[in-house]
Amino acid sequence: MEKSMAQRWQLKDYVFAALMTVGLAVTAKVTQPFASAIPLPGATTIAWAPFAAIFLTLGMARLRRSGAVALMAGVLALILGIISWTISAFLVAALLAAELVGLVSGGFAGRTTRLLANMAFFAATCLTGWFIGVTFLRGTPVGDLAAQWLTQPWVLVPAAVVSALAGAVGWWLGEQIVFQLQRAGKLDVAR
Amino acid sequence: MSLAKLPQFLGSVNPLLKIVLSIALTACAFALKSVWANLLLVSVLMVLTFVSVRVETKSVVGVGVFLLIFTGLTGTLSGDWGYAGLGAARLLVLILPALLLPATTAPGDLVRAFQAVRLPPFLVLSLMLTWRFLPIIQQEAQRIIEANLLRGVDLARRPGLWFSGLFTPLIFRIVSYADDVTVGLETRGYDPESPRSTSQPLRWRPGDTLFALGAAALLIAVGGLEWTA
Repeated sequence: MEKSMAQRWQLKDYVFAALMTVGLAVTAKVTQPFASAIPLPGATTIAWAPFAAIFLTLGMARLRRSGAVALMAGVLALILGIISWTISAFLVAALLAAELVGLVSGGFAGRTTRLLANMAFFAATCLTGWFIGVTFLRGTPVGDLAAQWLTQPWVLVPAAVVSALAGAVGWWLGEQIVFQLQRAGKLDVAR
Repeated sequence: MSLAKLPQFLGSVNPLLKIVLSIALTACAFALKSVWANLLLVSVLMVLTFVSVRVETKSVVGVGVFLLIFTGLTGTLSGDWGYAGLGAARLLVLILPALLLPATTAPGDLVRAFQAVRLPPFLVLSLMLTWRFLPIIQQEAQRIIEANLLRGVDLARRPGLWFSGLFTPLIFRIVSYADDVTVGLETRGYDPESPRSTSQPLRWRPGDTLFALGAAALLIAVGGLEWTA
């Protein structure tokens, strides 16, 4: 059964979204050592994206409607905000990008919408993280030099594209899990 | 950096106040260009860190080495050691509040803070569930990793097996938890749209006023140093 935008959110939706948020947080912790090895600000999400996108895809597939990504990533942004609001800032920018895709497509019921939403989410995390990183670097001679180098399109564009592709890989893995869960009778989703 | 919790005065400060202060301090890290303003903030934050949380010696050494390398590299490349020191101080202003707030705020306090700012009840429910299940799911992940180790698969060294060996079984467990929790809440008549009550509502205490005044005085002093520079 398709879920319309007007249909009320139910308790099971909130619980499922919260547990997907936990999944996002766990993947952030697991991939942190790999992420810290990437020297470019913002692009560190490349290590997180393939695994985080699994949970985003699963949440979108189960909840289907607009607001699903906001509920998952928004709660994560609130929690991680106590570590630093810069993390919240790039998560909010990313969820807005993904929700825009969902809004245009009328929800996340379709696989293509979920793919595009994931790509938009991780490209936005990269660009926002980049912007924050470069802003922080400015003010010292070396920082200005680094910021000047980092703002070159031949560095910035490939990083955003690779982030989006990493999100696409995660989407593909997420759809595999959705299929497995569906076959096991654990998930009622539209494909 | 690994921080062990101690009984500390920052732990009793209103969590909302700490969140606001943390946001202000992070903004300072981006905005301040004066060495003295940064050094004042760093010194106060360092005192708070060492007073409020038990910091392991190896963590101090690790951060110290990192800062020395960062400062040395910046100073050598730029030839300006003042700016190099400024960069290190700004980095510390960004790092220290991020360590202090989580280490001195209990999850329950955070939830009470979100309730106090009148977040929608469904959002508070999501936050509570996330806080409650984060350690449980981490334990599940650890169990799966150990089960793989028993079978001779060291997942830490083989990221290629993370999907099939870690994430697939973990997601199946998470989905099972989601079903169980939903049934548990529904059988207790839980309504995500209704406002929640708390036995220990968040209150503003005299200690919070003192802390807020101290923080305001610090920020005014920092602003003054930045202005005169």
